[in-house]
Amino acid sequence: MLPAFDSSNFRRNDGGSSVSTSLSGYGGRPSEGRASEARGDVLGQWIARHPVAALVIAVAVILVLWLVLAPWPPGVEEAIGKKRLFVNALFNGITLGGLYFLVATGFTLIFGLMRNVNLAHGSLYLFGGYMGYEATQWTGSWLFSYVIAFVCCAIVGMAMQFFIFRRMEGQDLRQTLVTLGLSIIFSDLMVWVWGGNAIQIDTPDYLQGPVPTPIIASIRSSGEMVFLRYPLVRLVIFAAAVVIGIGMWLALHRTRVGVMIRAGVDDRDMLSVLGYRVQLLFVLVFAFGAGLAGMAGVVGGTFQSISLGEDSHFLLASLVVVIVGGMGSIPGAALGALIIGLSEQLGIVYFQNYSTVLSFLIMAIVLVVRPQGLLGRR
Amino acid sequence: MALEQTIETDSLTLPQAQQAGAVSRWVHRNAAILILAVLLLILPAVAGPFILDQIVGWTMILGMIALSLMFLCGYGGMVSLAQMTVAGVSGYMIAVFGPSSLPSISLFWPWWVAAPVAILIAVAFGTVVGALSARTEGIYTIMITLALATAFFYLTLQNWPIFNGFNGFTTIPAPHFLGVNWRAPIPFYYMVLFFAALSYAAVLYISRAPFGLALQGVRDNPRRMEAIGYNVTAHRVAAYAFAALIAAVGGILLVWQNNQISPYSVGVNAVINILVIAVVGGITHPIGAFIGAFIYVILHTFALDALVAVGLDGRRFQLLIGLGFVIIVLFSPDGIVGIWRRLRARARTSGGGNPL
Amino acid sequence: MSSIAERIAASGTSNAIELRGVTRYFGALAALTDITMSVRPGERRAVLGSNGAGKTTLLNCITGDFFPTFGTVRFFGEDVTTLPPHERIRRGLRRTYQISLLFSRLSVRDNVYLACRGVSRGRFSFIRTRARDAIMQSVEELIALVHLESVADRLVEELAHGQQRQLEIALALAGAPRFILFDEPAAGLSPAERRDLVAILTALPSHIGYIIIEHDMDVALRVVESVTMMHNGRIFKEGAPHEIQADPEVQELFLGSGHA
Ligand SMILES: Nc1ncnc2c1ncn2[C@@H]1O[C@H](COP(=O)(O)OP(=O)(O)O)[C@@H](O)[C@H]1O
Ligand SMILES: [Mg+2]
Repeated sequence: MLPAFDSSNFRRNDGGSSVSTSLSGYGGRPSEGRASEARGDVLGQWIARHPVAALVIAVAVILVLWLVLAPWPPGVEEAIGKKRLFVNALFNGITLGGLYFLVATGFTLIFGLMRNVNLAHGSLYLFGGYMGYEATQWTGSWLFSYVIAFVCCAIVGMAMQFFIFRRMEGQDLRQTLVTLGLSIIFSDLMVWVWGGNAIQIDTPDYLQGPVPTPIIASIRSSGEMVFLRYPLVRLVIFAAAVVIGIGMWLALHRTRVGVMIRAGVDDRDMLSVLGYRVQLLFVLVFAFGAGLAGMAGVVGGTFQSISLGEDSHFLLASLVVVIVGGMGSIPGAALGALIIGLSEQLGIVYFQNYSTVLSFLIMAIVLVVRPQGLLGRR
Repeated sequence: MALEQTIETDSLTLPQAQQAGAVSRWVHRNAAILILAVLLLILPAVAGPFILDQIVGWTMILGMIALSLMFLCGYGGMVSLAQMTVAGVSGYMIAVFGPSSLPSISLFWPWWVAAPVAILIAVAFGTVVGALSARTEGIYTIMITLALATAFFYLTLQNWPIFNGFNGFTTIPAPHFLGVNWRAPIPFYYMVLFFAALSYAAVLYISRAPFGLALQGVRDNPRRMEAIGYNVTAHRVAAYAFAALIAAVGGILLVWQNNQISPYSVGVNAVINILVIAVVGGITHPIGAFIGAFIYVILHTFALDALVAVGLDGRRFQLLIGLGFVIIVLFSPDGIVGIWRRLRARARTSGGGNPL
Repeated sequence: MSSIAERIAASGTSNAIELRGVTRYFGALAALTDITMSVRPGERRAVLGSNGAGKTTLLNCITGDFFPTFGTVRFFGEDVTTLPPHERIRRGLRRTYQISLLFSRLSVRDNVYLACRGVSRGRFSFIRTRARDAIMQSVEELIALVHLESVADRLVEELAHGQQRQLEIALALAGAPRFILFDEPAAGLSPAERRDLVAILTALPSHIGYIIIEHDMDVALRVVESVTMMHNGRIFKEGAPHEIQADPEVQELFLGSGHA
């Protein structure tokens, strides 16, 4: 048995070896098991308990708002470069975060419910991108390509869960090794079919081109204000990611299946209540997570491009996002995605030679300070 | 099984008469590995440079890196995907501190300074990886180490001042000393053989020493280990450090053998291949790492021709590796070593002979 | 961290185990509420209570497997509330588990060896232990004590349940224990094995105290001098065995209703 991160790990007796040195193991100080007090006013309580952190966050938020909204005085521009650069990186980071969220949320959901670290998740992303590309080629419809990508990846995901992982229930490590093997196979198959060249999915005409935003990029010497222009398609996709995120939250909290899934994530023993239907639930969740990765592939193909190697890139992004955000937690995936997206894009602008290392530095710090992830539970 | 081996070595110090018996028993029990050792020692007399270098030499180097994973995983239950990365760190460092074709970066220190420094840095790196992931087990370790390994890959790809970005380093000569050119096929072969045998013997020996036994205790039940007085986290980190030492030596040898290192030497594929090698060979015994490496090298060297010969695309090598890996994980999780053990057990029971 | 001298000085005068206001929550569930108790060095105490009363959780808080949510734990006068388990073990605390926690892929001898090594020096040693080293002597003695000589070289996963329980006890006796916590050591043992267990417990040197959780009154009340009754995470009654047995409230709650 491998350890889990949440209370599900505390079995009714002290026999399970799983309780111990997991991420949640010995790190706890005596005060940390405090009973959940009244649920209300979580934010107020949090601030009361961490006044320093709250202050730091408040100052940071104000600083960022000022950096975004105010025209920069010349001193600032001299110190850290053009405002246009910064705001662009910020927007890129946030929208990239939206993309990462789409990929990582399926990963974290599958992990939370089935304890399956799906290392083929990046391959599903890439596969979705290719299928979406094919779909736009045939039908010319960008929106329809999302449906195709979702369905194709969901089918592959279902097949994986139904034919392979169902037979290895509880053997987390073996499952993970199989997903690793599958990722090697998928990646080679995709090279076989689509070759090594990068493919770009065309943005539909109605989303083409940049649109003005109400953010001042710079002020000309004439005193005329120049507003930032930003690609519409990225803004739309980001909005879609937010909508999907909220939709998932609602589905998980307001529907019966959602409540079942959350109960299963919190306490794996709860799953036995479902009896044989637990398999159905697993297949559905795997399909949904895989489908989301596929849709993300289309997004990625539109934002950037899809090519050989993007599977590892997005697998890695998912790993880092869920490690930072908290494994098995969907709000955690959102927060982690935002942080990693921003750190990558700001890193590219401000620390060229070390930009990716920035994300990993964040990951390492989180692992040291809060091993269960920012929003993960112990 | 318990202290059999300990007792056995112990008896080697007894009086002459018994000693002879003990030696012959030891030889009998280790016949296979002794025959292999003799064969490897005399191999240069019969084999050409291609076999020595590209087959056996490469097998032993990859085997060392896989061995470091086997040590962590088989004895400690920690599946670290960062072992190839540790090897890569020492490989890059030997190119940075020693000579290479890039005088703007390389420091051209003599090998006896550059190699220890490179190993030291790699061990430090491996220890940090261990410290970051030691509070986790199993799949969590995989996630974290894979992320760290990929981070290093992207760092080498992006960073020009130290890692020379996409191009990496070439022309990294093995040293000349004692009047021998250690990159010439036969000396290099013996150097690799020496280090591979040393690591193999060390891992085997330590597996029955307190450190190794405690590591197996940590694997089986970390909570109980704490409850009988062990600092589990410290033990895990120490295991990472020791494994990093083996991987670091392997990394330097690999760079000397290939005469180059680039980001793709530490890329996701390379990292995963080490896991594939260790798992296919069998994670339960140190010899598995070398068996796995041998299979990998043979496939890598001959698969292209073989695939073409049966009318397939020679470029489908990775597909072959992936399929083989999945089949092994599905049907024999303890790899070739496991298959061999089961066959031997069956032969014994069906032979009806004496069970010992 | 206190110096050794301080520790020795403190241990001369204080209780072996001293809990003050120990409380442990699991989520909203209070598994322990405000437990205050002290056990003298060498004292032998039974903790009784129905299933879910919080007995195992109490032991977990004493060893550090779980930390208490509130309250302090002292071991021979030293505040060990936040020490990790291995530090407490090295100070002479030992425990067994209700559900055996053993090293299933190692032999019985290796299991006992690890326990002995864990409370001695050389835990990180790269040098193999030889059969004639002193530590092996104590390993063999412990194996003999729990009658596992015949299976000493077998893997633990191959052992019968009763044998695993015996091994569980052997692991807790390694080194020089000062205080031992037994969590239902007799569960699942045959009558003969129970007699062996009682013999082992009564034969322990008198300076070694212990707390034993045991449902079997025959075992429990024969080997202890005091009893703590727990109910719903609280201490419900403390006293000598005969007082507890005679207490009408206890009778009603436990002994009468067939819980124990
Ligand atoms: N690790 C845990 N996680 C959640 N609840 C627990 C855990 N351990 C014990 N409990 C709960 O605490 C209460 C006391 O349990 P325990 O101490 O095991 O009782 P006892 O040993 O007296 O039978 C029970 O209600 C049990 O369900
Ligand atoms: Mg109990």
